[in-house]
Amino acid sequence: MINLEVKIPDTPGSLIELIRPISKYGGNIYGILHFHDRKLKNMIPVNISFELSEEIQEVSLQNIKKELKEKNIQIENISYGIEKKLITIILTGHVFDTDVMDTIKRLASKNINVLELQAKFTKLEEVSNVKLRIEFPEEMDKKELTNELRKICEEKKLFLITS
Amino acid sequence: MMNVKICLIGKGIVGSSLLQLLNEKKQLFKQKFNLKITVNSIFESDGALIKDKGIDLKEILDVSDDFRNLPYWRRDVKAIDLISELDIDICIETTPTNPKTGEPGLSHIIEALNNHIDVISSNKGPFYLEYKKIKNLAEQNNCFVKYEATVASCVPSLSIKEDLIGNEILSIKAILNGTSNFILSRMTAEGVDFPLALKEAQELGYAESDPTLDIDGYDAAGKLVILANELLGWSKNIKDVKVEGISKITPHAIELVKPDGFVIKPLAIAENNELSVEPRLIDKNSPLNISGNLNVVELETKYAGPIILMGRGAGGFEAASAIINDLIDITRKKGYSP
Repeated sequence: MINLEVKIPDTPGSLIELIRPISKYGGNIYGILHFHDRKLKNMIPVNISFELSEEIQEVSLQNIKKELKEKNIQIENISYGIEKKLITIILTGHVFDTDVMDTIKRLASKNINVLELQAKFTKLEEVSNVKLRIEFPEEMDKKELTNELRKICEEKKLFLITS
Repeated sequence: MMNVKICLIGKGIVGSSLLQLLNEKKQLFKQKFNLKITVNSIFESDGALIKDKGIDLKEILDVSDDFRNLPYWRRDVKAIDLISELDIDICIETTPTNPKTGEPGLSHIIEALNNHIDVISSNKGPFYLEYKKIKNLAEQNNCFVKYEATVASCVPSLSIKEDLIGNEILSIKAILNGTSNFILSRMTAEGVDFPLALKEAQELGYAESDPTLDIDGYDAAGKLVILANELLGWSKNIKDVKVEGISKITPHAIELVKPDGFVIKPLAIAENNELSVEPRLIDKNSPLNISGNLNVVELETKYAGPIILMGRGAGGFEAASAIINDLIDITRKKGYSP
């Protein structure tokens, strides 16, 4: 994953000028953030995250940088983000009574981050069902992730369903 | 024409369906396969029908449950005592599975193989408990042992191995228990809770009055062991399977994952030398997302990606047709039929 921090003029069409070379050299765009509140001298900071095919990453990135310079788009910083994987799981049981924040923090300590939590309840004393959308590191395999989840679920008597 | 002499052990739903198919297919066996199939003994738990020159199948089918009144019914004789004495080429074992011991089927199979008799079985217990022992014994005695009906019934999930000989099967994902799949399908489609869906399955005859083996995952675990041993060349038994049932799944859990395009299915998985049966979230567009009481087997292959087999995984005629396939296969391999 490549994170590009640039400044573009606050004029119509300049965002397209930023995206065009990335798309032209095979970039798969994950997200774009504009910071209109930090506009200075009519230039807006923009962060764009994208992925390039590994084999041609260096060449493609050089070409992208060259074209952006030709378009007068200032590149402030380039960083290589850590790849993350996503998974959805369901926990059934007394998820809140067994301290859901503790569950989230323990997962975070293993670099497993809960991005989203959605719950359904019936009665207070009955079990709840909680859907978690989880992000985990590229280098962690699914078995390792499942083992971490299982450890907590066994201890807290929660029923786990993974994808 | 080759006369193949058969002993049938177990005249329940599968055994009776088999007798009907053998009777119906008499001409086909003769014309297409150059075979005469002679059933010379049919064993039940309390006795046996024995006729050296062959039992008239039509007569058996006509008398239905009154077969014990036939003159050649011998009360209190046991298959285990007579297998070695009878003139049999193939022993067909269709007794019900005892999940803990595999008996009496296991002893019948061992006795037949020890007497150099080929075996066909629809009884899975012996195979998920003592797979290696049975296979070794068959090899030592130069016998065939076939058991297609033990996994997904008529779906050719075991014999496909021979059709994929030029490929390599890497892993297996499957739904092998129709009852669990039916229950989860009803919970997904109608939003009913587990007890109600189970009751419905029982009323429709898809679930036993004691449904434990189905809903707790042990039935699927046994079938998974056989599938993995056969297709992946493993030597596992049922104790090697991590099993989780479906009884804790709630309609809310199903509802929560719907917007993300997931459904919950009772999956049996063999990959990375590990076996598990557990509910899993799968993409609603996955070929594994089958509804009702069907079975499905997805084989991940090295040279062709996934290969999917699907069909009815239970029923008398379904299992009986799988037994007939095994029967023809044995006679072909022995050079009796083309």
